[in-house]
Amino acid sequence: MTVLSIENLAVTFSTDTGDVPAVRDVSLRVRPGETLALVGESGSGKSTVALAATGLLAQNARVSGRISVDGTEVVGADESALARLRGRTVSMVFQEPATALDPLSRVGAQIAEVVRNHRRVSRAEAARAAVELLRRVGVAEPERRASAFPFQLSGGQRQRVVIAMAIANSPGLLIADEPTTALDVTVQAEILDLLRASAADSGTGVLLVTHNMGVVADFADRVAVMLEGEVVETGPVEEVLLRPGHEYTRHLLAAVPRLTVAEPERAKYAEKPERAGSAKEPAGSAPVVELRDVSVRFGRGHRTVKALTDVSLTVRAGETVGLVGESASGKSTAARVALGLVRPDSGSVTLFGSDLARTRGRPRRSLLSGVGVVLQDPVASLDARMSVAECVAEPLRVHQRGMSAPQRRARVAEALELVRLSDGLAKRGPRELSGGQRQRVSLARALVLQPRLLVADEPTSALDVSVQRTVLEVIAELQGELGFACLFVSHDLAVVQEFAQRVVVLRAGAVEEEGPTMTTLLRPETEYTRRLIAAVPVPDPVLQRRRRSALAAEATT
Amino acid sequence: METTLYLARRLLQALAVILIVTVVVFCLLHALPGGPARGILGPQATAQQIAAFNHEQGLDRPLPVQYVYYLRTLLHGDLGTSYTLNDAVSRLIEQRLPKTLVLTVLSALAGLAPAIPLGMWQAVRRNKPADHVVTALGFVAYSTPVYFLGLLLILVFTQTLRWFPSQAPQGDTLSQVFADPVALVLPVLTGAASMVAVFSRYMRAATLENLAEDYVRTARAGGSRPAAILWKHVFRNSLTPVIAMLGYYVPVLFGGALVVEQLFNYPGMGLLFWSAAQSSDYPVLLGCVLVISVATVIGTLLADVVQRIVDPRVKAERT
Amino acid sequence: MTAVLRASSALEPVAGYRLPLRRFAHNRPAVAGLAVVVLFLLFCFVGPLIHPTDQTHTDLTQVNLAPGGARLLGTDAVGHDEFGRLMYGGKVSLLVGLASGVLATVVGTVWGAVAGYAGGWLDAVMMRIVDAGIAIPALFILLVVSAITTPDTLGLIVVLGLVSWLVPSRLVRAETLTLKSRDYVLTLRAIGGTHGRAIGRHILPNSVSTIVVAATFQVADAILLVAYVSYLGLGVQPPSTDWGGMLSAGLTAAYSGRWWLIVPPGLAIILVVCAFNAIGDGLRDAFDVRGRG
Repeated sequence: MTVLSIENLAVTFSTDTGDVPAVRDVSLRVRPGETLALVGESGSGKSTVALAATGLLAQNARVSGRISVDGTEVVGADESALARLRGRTVSMVFQEPATALDPLSRVGAQIAEVVRNHRRVSRAEAARAAVELLRRVGVAEPERRASAFPFQLSGGQRQRVVIAMAIANSPGLLIADEPTTALDVTVQAEILDLLRASAADSGTGVLLVTHNMGVVADFADRVAVMLEGEVVETGPVEEVLLRPGHEYTRHLLAAVPRLTVAEPERAKYAEKPERAGSAKEPAGSAPVVELRDVSVRFGRGHRTVKALTDVSLTVRAGETVGLVGESASGKSTAARVALGLVRPDSGSVTLFGSDLARTRGRPRRSLLSGVGVVLQDPVASLDARMSVAECVAEPLRVHQRGMSAPQRRARVAEALELVRLSDGLAKRGPRELSGGQRQRVSLARALVLQPRLLVADEPTSALDVSVQRTVLEVIAELQGELGFACLFVSHDLAVVQEFAQRVVVLRAGAVEEEGPTMTTLLRPETEYTRRLIAAVPVPDPVLQRRRRSALAAEATT
Repeated sequence: METTLYLARRLLQALAVILIVTVVVFCLLHALPGGPARGILGPQATAQQIAAFNHEQGLDRPLPVQYVYYLRTLLHGDLGTSYTLNDAVSRLIEQRLPKTLVLTVLSALAGLAPAIPLGMWQAVRRNKPADHVVTALGFVAYSTPVYFLGLLLILVFTQTLRWFPSQAPQGDTLSQVFADPVALVLPVLTGAASMVAVFSRYMRAATLENLAEDYVRTARAGGSRPAAILWKHVFRNSLTPVIAMLGYYVPVLFGGALVVEQLFNYPGMGLLFWSAAQSSDYPVLLGCVLVISVATVIGTLLADVVQRIVDPRVKAERT
Repeated sequence: MTAVLRASSALEPVAGYRLPLRRFAHNRPAVAGLAVVVLFLLFCFVGPLIHPTDQTHTDLTQVNLAPGGARLLGTDAVGHDEFGRLMYGGKVSLLVGLASGVLATVVGTVWGAVAGYAGGWLDAVMMRIVDAGIAIPALFILLVVSAITTPDTLGLIVVLGLVSWLVPSRLVRAETLTLKSRDYVLTLRAIGGTHGRAIGRHILPNSVSTIVVAATFQVADAILLVAYVSYLGLGVQPPSTDWGGMLSAGLTAAYSGRWWLIVPPGLAIILVVCAFNAIGDGLRDAFDVRGRG
């Protein structure tokens, strides 16, 4: 008995520049009540499989093979047959809750629409059903929320609405395509719980598409690993995650940053360890950058948003400080304040011993020449009109105008070598590079002036794990070599744990707690940090199951 | 609350814009040959008369002071006196403006009514022959000078087919205008033609953009039929940017009305303006510019408010 | 979908400028538009050398001749050869249209870039001025100007340029606003790069495609506007003329059936304006910029 059976699926996209094969010879099965995780890196074809299963692929896709959903053949079915299937037999939850809903329709109406697509009920009955569904997916005050527009809801609430639409007609198969990727970890944990509960209620089979091994460990019964359009390994979750058979799976799992967590049963009784012993404290060295009681407000009048409130943080020479927090916690704003891009409304910023607010003109520029910057978006970080060499040479042109062209070329080549990029890339345009290569070019640009401080704002969060691993290694290695200090902004606690000596946790624009990384993340002092850490799923299904039941037990007591 | 604030903000912006328009008109007044005195007293005034007038009206004072005087007379509804028609400019405009508004609104409706479904239809059948044909026709309609198009319509429908008169309805009151609806057909059609072209294009682009949105995929995944998605979701979402464009299009509509009124001898503000230009009747010219600009600002404001009603999302600033 | 994204970026090793060119070359209406523009430029600027006609003196023995024989398009009410006059008038129409369209784009670009980059109150004031300019319909301003003075060709270009820079200024401002918050500009500013460098090396080069597209549409609109100018009594003075002047001069003749006095200039205007619009469309799609629908 299967709710989804895929046999020898192949998908090819025809584009202006030729045919692009996306999926080759994929065969999968999902049984009722079972969750199959389809994992892989970007471009592996996992989302294409998910869309093919509902017949939602773009028009330029050519599909061959067989896909049967609860006994109905999907490949080659016409749109009206598919419409009868969708929302009733098979439903989908998508990655981006911000755009998944019609911005101009009330959410209750959008849920009611799915109900009325498949059931002969009156408008009023459908509206009541929508409210009931909102209640089931854990939306507070469902009567009131039903008449809200999507923009009035948070990302997590929107994703709940999408799930309500998906389970409206109790489908046999639920396909979730990266359902929590756009969400904060605490919200992710709630949404995963909700999906698990909704599926368990009705014995729904789930096809979960994700790149996150922690989510897989938390949720899946079985796993299929995809690489370049093919399934390379399938098996029970414990098998695949703990004893991977395929070379690629091993490589992938080795690249995943792992959060070292205290064993759940012991965490409660843990004592505060000695602070000094846990990490080297470079307290003696001078601060490279220091924010003191910084407050930042955006907007005016009653729409004012307090981005930062009395934030103080210090980065000392040679150390890496991890700045962590959920979205809207103010971590990027804090980094921008440190860079002088955002002027604080109150408080002071001291960079290399000078007050940034009081330094202007030439002295300010020479001060800033000691700073390197890497930002999140690999596409927007490099001007597409410049060659790689020009991008990397830009800081030299700003600060060392007297430098001759051959000297500059030599320095650029040197910087590219540092980040392990071949000199052959120098003449190419950023468009011709992969995401990881682009971030390394950004890094080369940041390091070409041999800065004393590197500010990295989520430098790897847009990258696949294996690429992230390489970029992080390069940064760590260079830091050892060149000795710059680093302010490392990230939402990923595991990355910060691996990478930073000290960590500052931000919450709603204020410092929640700070301390040496291992101490703070293993034995957090505040309830918020504890919850934050507890919400991160670890890529070990056995440990994760234990953490989850400990968490559930705690919730009931 | 948000809406009230938004409206207040937009209203303030509109007032600022109107103030700037008065500055422009004030500058034009002073750019007239002989200055405002010549403009107001007329071409026959002597040098002494002008000097006396200048002193009396404070026109020998510094320009900023004069501007304040000018604003004060405007606030009293005084736009000066026409020296060819011997009547207060404000009264002349009062008579003509409603007729121009009627013509403009009718043209806008006659243009939008076919343009919106046409644009959606094109989007649905994009890159098929029918889409290409409509696009090409739209290009031609957009590229035809209004007066040339009006002339062709007159030649075909009046001279050859004799279906409609070549002259718009005459008369001072609106009821006289509405008494002869057949005579309104050609002027309205002439004014609407380029509008069909422009707005079917916008609607096509907006619909295409929305058809590619994620929410369409969500609706399909929920089992909604394509036609239902088109009318329930895509239509409304595509209409919002088109309404915003309507705001930008108001000045073009008034410009079109100027030509149409002249061509069909329709006794509105455009025709008044036209004849004032022929006789260098400056008070009428500048009065009309001021009133038509204020009307444009109000029209744009209305389009914004309508857009705001259709789309509840907060738009802090227009760009 | 990620597969498609990756595939398209993997298949994009064509350097920055070549890809748009190829896309443009595959856009048939755009290529046709380009051909029409080139043909008309040849017709108007080279044509008179091959088919010389007297367009300065009237010839009252040859008035209102119907097309035929040596007179391909007949003659007008004062005996000018209509075919030659189409070349003669086209020179003015194309020249004034191109020049004022470009002028409007330049003024609009500077204004919009300054407002967008400066931000704050300066931006607010500059944009309200643009709003005010847009609120006064261009045809009304032109008619007021025509009542005050009759400009020469250069004056005409300036007047037309000054009534039509507003829309491009809005486009460029929007583009500048987006570009100035791009990560590469922020990075430059964070390491102490100057505003001059941000504008000169990043913002302007990256808005070039938007500006070129805007300029193309602007020229189309300007040629159309030139056609109105004679109708409004602001056009170049006889014996010189332009297509709009020929059209409005022929209006009354049209009622008495002398179609050859209005159809050729009318068609010429429509063709050229369509052509520029098609080129603009093609450029916009090729550069993949947002602009006029």
